[in-house]
Order: sequence, then structure tokens, then C-alpha cells
Amino acid sequence: MTRDEIQQKLIDIVRQEKDIPDEKLTPGTLLTDAGVDSLDALTILFAIEENFHISIPDDKARAIKTFGDMVTVVEELQKT
Amino acid sequence: MTRVAITGLGIISPFGRGRAVACAAMRDGRSGIRRISSIDTSALNCKIGGEVPAEAHQGAFKGFDRFSRFALIAAEEAMQQAATGKNVDAERFGVIIGTGLGGCETLDGAFRRVYKEGQSRVPPASIPWSMYNAAASAVSAHFGAKGVAYTPVSACASSAHAIGQAFQAIRAGDADVMIAGGADAPLTFGIILAWESMRVLAIDNEHPEKACRPFSADRKGLVLAEGAAALVLESFEHAQRRDANVLGEIVGFGITSDAGHLTDPSADGAARAMRLALRDLAASEVGYINAHGTATRANDATETTAIKAVLGDRVPASSTKSMHGHAMGASGAIEIVCSLVALNDGFLPPTINLENPDPACDLDYVPNASRPLRVPVFLSNSFGFGGMNGVVAVRTIHGL
Repeated sequence: MTRDEIQQKLIDIVRQEKDIPDEKLTPGTLLTDAGVDSLDALTILFAIEENFHISIPDDKARAIKTFGDMVTVVEELQKT
Repeated sequence: MTRVAITGLGIISPFGRGRAVACAAMRDGRSGIRRISSIDTSALNCKIGGEVPAEAHQGAFKGFDRFSRFALIAAEEAMQQAATGKNVDAERFGVIIGTGLGGCETLDGAFRRVYKEGQSRVPPASIPWSMYNAAASAVSAHFGAKGVAYTPVSACASSAHAIGQAFQAIRAGDADVMIAGGADAPLTFGIILAWESMRVLAIDNEHPEKACRPFSADRKGLVLAEGAAALVLESFEHAQRRDANVLGEIVGFGITSDAGHLTDPSADGAARAMRLALRDLAASEVGYINAHGTATRANDATETTAIKAVLGDRVPASSTKSMHGHAMGASGAIEIVCSLVALNDGFLPPTINLENPDPACDLDYVPNASRPLRVPVFLSNSFGFGGMNGVVAVRTIHGL
């Protein structure tokens, strides 16, 4: 799966969990600026794990600050 | 003594969203019980319930369990009616929302994944969505209520206790304004199955609207339901200062325990709660009782005995559960809101499906049709499993 494909799938997942306007769903947007609180983030990560059949370790999960970070983590974990 | 005004009423019920549809159902004697459509009932014997129609709540307040979403919808309507604006001190503004079973949908869905679908984990919001105080917390956060806030859990008496405790918080001077009520959403596969095992459900899948028959000789049991209702309560002084429209007054609260059997009710515990609710009133003022009236064999006869012991046989007592079913911990609040909108409109809500009177139930249950009458004060009875009883006395606009 290419980075673009991962990003598109992530956007779909995030949209299912939380109403976020398009302009805030960019790779550089901080999750907190997009209105994603800690519980939302846990729910989104859970949905990502389910959809991509991966397990995101706690330290990697804690390091995610932006949507772009999410894409990178998924990309890395898919390679391994 | 501080008087406690009712300045807002909100409800979401099997009749739909809002006071107007609930009031119309009370007036017309219309059942809200139907075939359940929100879950797959093919493996259940019981396929009916007092389900809140999907269009009444879809899209509202995403990110909470179903019972919390119901609480938010009911509280929002009550707060809009109260129209408090910015005239409330946040630290003297509180929330008490009772529930019997909490976030059933969340837990049922989470455990189904593991036990049935063979998955290894449950969603991360399972705990904060399902906890019993989730609804009270959501309402507190949404309306910025920073004072007294918690959740009483006492089965079917939970929201009677919530309203009674909110009344006492204002009387004690601990709050100026309280949102009080109850919410429950128990129409999940596991909970319905558990009630089936108790053999107290009225299962008439072909005629859902006829299933619940309180006080009738051929009553078969209760019909599970869901929903929420909320009242805005405030001290009279606070309401008058902001020139609020007063809809009624809480004038008494009785709380007792049977200290007896887990599921068999006691007339003594119920009667003592009614007497406590009446302690600051003349009993002659009571013109209506909204009975607990579950339509189980045990409750209806026992409650009739209790009512006669306290008020004799002169006061009409109906069970609106015949129309909205038994929404567990939300039922007391739903019944107080349904009663007050009906009585303020000048009529008594009926007990529907009362075709075959039971000799052991010999009061005036307002059978089958609402009745034009203005009454100054009514009682709302709630008696929970575990022998926990709550009775709330309410003055209508006709008695103010």
C-alpha cells in the first residue's frame, strides 16, 4: 500500500470516528488542533489497528502528534 | 424552608423526542411499544420493547453510549425551556442523573467482539462510555454545571432518587439550579435475554401495543423500554429573580428500603415512602398518583395495597408504563415528566389495556382513556428491585 493510499484510508477511518472539517485533516495538523482529544485518539488508533491488521506499540502511539505521524507509523508497521 | 420550582422539562421516549409527542400520547392513550428494530432479535423470544424511534436521536451527540445520548437530548430540551441564559452560578449548578443499567450498548458490543466474534480486544472507550455516571458527566460538561454531580443507581427507583436528591440539594442550600432525571437504554441482546430468564416479561410479539396491561387480571408482566427525562429544578427565589416561568414544584420526597427480598416487593416499604413524601402536605391535596404499575403479578397487587393504606381508595392512580413500557432507572423521571405535562394540560393520563379488572386491584386506575381533571398535587411512585423505593410529590401549575 502506498503512502497516499494509507493516508486516504486513514482519513476515512478518522471521519468515521470523529467529525473533522476537511481543512483540518491535513498531514501537518496537530491532533489537538483538529479537536481530537485523548480518548478520541485512542478510539482512532484502535480503528486503525483493526483496519490495517497491525498492533501499534504504546511508545509509538504516544509519539503521534499529527495525522502525518499516523500515516508514518502505519507505513512503518506495514513494512515489518 | 426553601421551595423548589420546576422550570424545565425534557424527554426522549418511545413516543419520540420531546414533551409534545409525550403529552399527545398521554392524551390519546397511545402505546409506544413496538417490534424492536435497533438490534437483531431473531434469537430472542421477546422481540418487542419501548424502543426510542431511530429518527428521534440519530445524529445527536456523537461519541457517547446510547443512554448518555438520551440524557443529553432530554437535558437539552429541559434547559431550553428553563432558559436560564447566563443567570446561573456554575458552581451552584448541579446534575443528578440516575440509571439502572448504564451503558449496556457499549458493554454488550465490546464483549460480543471477544466472546462471539473471537477477537482479542475491546474498544478503548468501553470503560468511560459504559460507566454508570457517564450520562451525568456528559450533561454536567455540556451545560457547564460545576456543583453537586453524581449518579444514583437503585434499579427502577434510580431517577426518582435523582430527582428527590436534587430537590434536597436545593433545599439544603447546596445548589441554586439542578438538572435532575434519569436515562437507560437496556434494549440489548444480553439484557433482554436476562429479563426473559426472570419470566416477568410480557411477550406478545404480534400485538406489541397490547402487551403491557397493568392492574389487569390477565397481565403478563413488564415490557422493557428505554429513554430519558430531565427536569430543571431551582430555588423559587432564584427562579423569581430571573423572572422564570414556573411549571410546577417539588413538594416532597420519600425514600425507604424494604430491607427484605431482592425481587419481591413489600407494601410496607412502598407505603412508608409515600407517607414520607407527604409529610409536608395535606393528603387531601393529592389528586393523582402515577403508579409504579409495572404489570407484573407481584407489583400491581402490592402497590394497590400500599396506596390504600396511605390514601384510601379515593385517589385515581394510573400506570403510564402501559404506554411507554418500563425504562428501568429512567422510568421515574419519564413518568414525572409525562404526568406533569398531562396534568398541567388539565387531564389525567390513563392506564391503557385495562379490559379485565383484577379483584386484587380495585382502585380507580383511569382505565383506557385520559380524563379531564385539574389536580393540585400528584405522587409519582418508583419501586426498584432490591427493595429500594422512591416517591416524589409534585405540585402542578393548578396548585401553585
